[in-house]
Amino acid sequence: MIYVLGLGNVLMGDDGFGPTVVREFSATHVVGADVEVVDVGTPGLDMMPWLYDAHAVIIVDTIKSDARPGTLRVYDKKEILHHAPSVRVGPHDPGVKEALLTLEFAGRGPRDVVLVGVVPGDVGMALELTDPVRDAVPAAVEVIAGTLRRFGVPVAHVHAEPGPAPWWQDRHV
Amino acid sequence: MSTHITVDPITRIEGHLRIDVEVDGGVVKKAWSSGQMFRGIERILVGRDPREAWLFTQRFCGVCTTVHAITSVRAVENALKLEIPPNAQYIRNLIVAAHAMHDHIVHFYQLSALDWVDVVSALKADVPKTAALAASLSDWPGNSSKQFQAVKDRLAGFVAKGQLGIFTNGYWGHPAMKLSPEVNLLAVSHYLQALEYQRTVNQVVAILGSKTPNIQNLAVGGVANAINLDNDATLNMARLYQVKDLLDSAKQFIQQVYFVDVCAIGAMYAPWLGHGAGVTNYLAVPDLPTDAKATTFDLPGGTIFNGDLAKVTPIASFEDPYFQKNVSESIAHSWYDGDWQRHPYEEDTVPKYSPYSADGKYSWIKSPRFDGHVMQVGPLAQVLVGFAQGHEPTVRWAKKTLETAGKVAGVTLTPAVLHSTLGRHAARMIRTCVISELADKHWGLLAENIGKGDTRIFNEPVFPKGEQQGFGFHEAPRGTLSHWIVIEDGKIKNYQAVVPSTWNAGPRDAKNQAGPYEAALVGNPIADPEKPLEVLRTIHSFDPCIACAIHTLDVEGNEIANVKAL
Repeated sequence: MIYVLGLGNVLMGDDGFGPTVVREFSATHVVGADVEVVDVGTPGLDMMPWLYDAHAVIIVDTIKSDARPGTLRVYDKKEILHHAPSVRVGPHDPGVKEALLTLEFAGRGPRDVVLVGVVPGDVGMALELTDPVRDAVPAAVEVIAGTLRRFGVPVAHVHAEPGPAPWWQDRHV
Repeated sequence: MSTHITVDPITRIEGHLRIDVEVDGGVVKKAWSSGQMFRGIERILVGRDPREAWLFTQRFCGVCTTVHAITSVRAVENALKLEIPPNAQYIRNLIVAAHAMHDHIVHFYQLSALDWVDVVSALKADVPKTAALAASLSDWPGNSSKQFQAVKDRLAGFVAKGQLGIFTNGYWGHPAMKLSPEVNLLAVSHYLQALEYQRTVNQVVAILGSKTPNIQNLAVGGVANAINLDNDATLNMARLYQVKDLLDSAKQFIQQVYFVDVCAIGAMYAPWLGHGAGVTNYLAVPDLPTDAKATTFDLPGGTIFNGDLAKVTPIASFEDPYFQKNVSESIAHSWYDGDWQRHPYEEDTVPKYSPYSADGKYSWIKSPRFDGHVMQVGPLAQVLVGFAQGHEPTVRWAKKTLETAGKVAGVTLTPAVLHSTLGRHAARMIRTCVISELADKHWGLLAENIGKGDTRIFNEPVFPKGEQQGFGFHEAPRGTLSHWIVIEDGKIKNYQAVVPSTWNAGPRDAKNQAGPYEAALVGNPIADPEKPLEVLRTIHSFDPCIACAIHTLDVEGNEIANVKAL
């Protein structure tokens, strides 16, 4: 299986980037049957079941960097695992990295890992993304589509618009 | 001369908790527990539809998603006096049970065992001796020489490459590490096997909850799992039997491996049965209701004061006024505006930060109290409250644990040793064994009820005009979780969550009573103030989930512990 995992807390402003991106990707694209696209929140080590024996995993998250908010960065498995401990990749990185390292030791880690990260602006309590981070969503969706195609997965772009607002922004559920 | 040690952060993954200990003569004299992140997510709920609160509450925290979802729907149902169908009760119970088993396996093996197990020492283990030792403890098929040799080779390969990977930051070779190389190899092997079984039992949550983390199948009034035995797309017999197989498989690992490991490792660290008691007032609420009306529960609740197991006051229902009336929170030492102790319905959450002051305000966590008393919550409270009430499976597994560990240690162990750091690990395992049996029972209750032709899953909630108050509780893996809701004209007017890590990790209150973390650290030995492994042992024994008490967005520090000897 190949998993596309959106990480982040939708209640904490720009930290909702990962869940927003995977939601918009799902709403606008159709992918092969062996791909699952999921908003996993902030699972820490509970991410392990999604990584265990997976063929490949694409993780969308926020990253810590001095670059300006909205900047997109893409990392591969080697970069995630071998960053010196003092270099933090993302706010949920202890979870991602620990989960990956634990499964690597067990010989059960995913073969390929791609981290699509955005530099957040504001991660205070809020249900909306800030403008520069919101503007980075379409590009991140494209990175997912491109990466899946590189993995040999058929990806069809079926809708131009992502549809109605997600549940955490829609006050009239 | 006393040394002041700051351990910051202490949780390995989920958030940011700062512990300060004052050490004198190799012993902790005083301790402070400080939540370093503001929590106010409840404020997002004000003005919303109570039926959607659970979707938001399960995003409070990464790893405690399920428990906040369950508790939220129970709170709204309590406010509306709304009964749910039996199938909904049993499906929720199976999710609760599977989630607890998953959480406890991960806590013991992946999050805390390495405080006691020296991974590098396993390289020196004699494989046949390890296999003989394992065979003397359990007939688990995963304990073969071949298996142990493979793990040892794998570990040697990592070390030869100079890469310890996940084990890089451990305190290997620390003087407080006492296990033989063989026991260390046994534990590392089970560490790896635990990865498989936590995944197994997590599949139960995924099947019944539609997704995990963040289950999707709840509703105020029941669940959304359509039941139709003739439809492949709904909950049918094939899915139910898949759930049963997964539960059975996890049960075997829990009873044949987790049970044995805790007994054996515990016996070899027997002095730690004398450290870390701290607060011996205990609180647990009942859970796993056995019928739709929740008239009886399979897991008992109650309170115990001053460690006196002869006196226990039961908490017996979802409406029990003994619980409802006695919960309050203090902000005397917390960074909120004012200095009050209030009932959750009356609380507000107005942040007011000032510099860290050990004598003044020093934490974002509030201090929950029960009738004014500090209470310890979590598996130890659950087990002692059950034991004191003669709860059959709890008494049986507790006695078996004390007997087995006592035999390995060559001493007689009484229930009193459970008031300790190691006692919390033992209790967590005892509770997991009990739940592994009860999961079977509740699977049977669900299958039987569906077999009778009952496919009801949902009762429609109706919101009357005016104000209603309600509270919901759940005995979560980390302890008593309660949500308190005030509804006005169908909208949320106030919402407060009093979470397990708040009960345990909270600071002092207006009477200067230390919280359970703070009290448990006093008297702990510290062999090396530069490497305060013993502090981690006691704190990890509570299974801290500060992301739950605070939130997950810490952007500081990547180490297991950033230790500063001041």
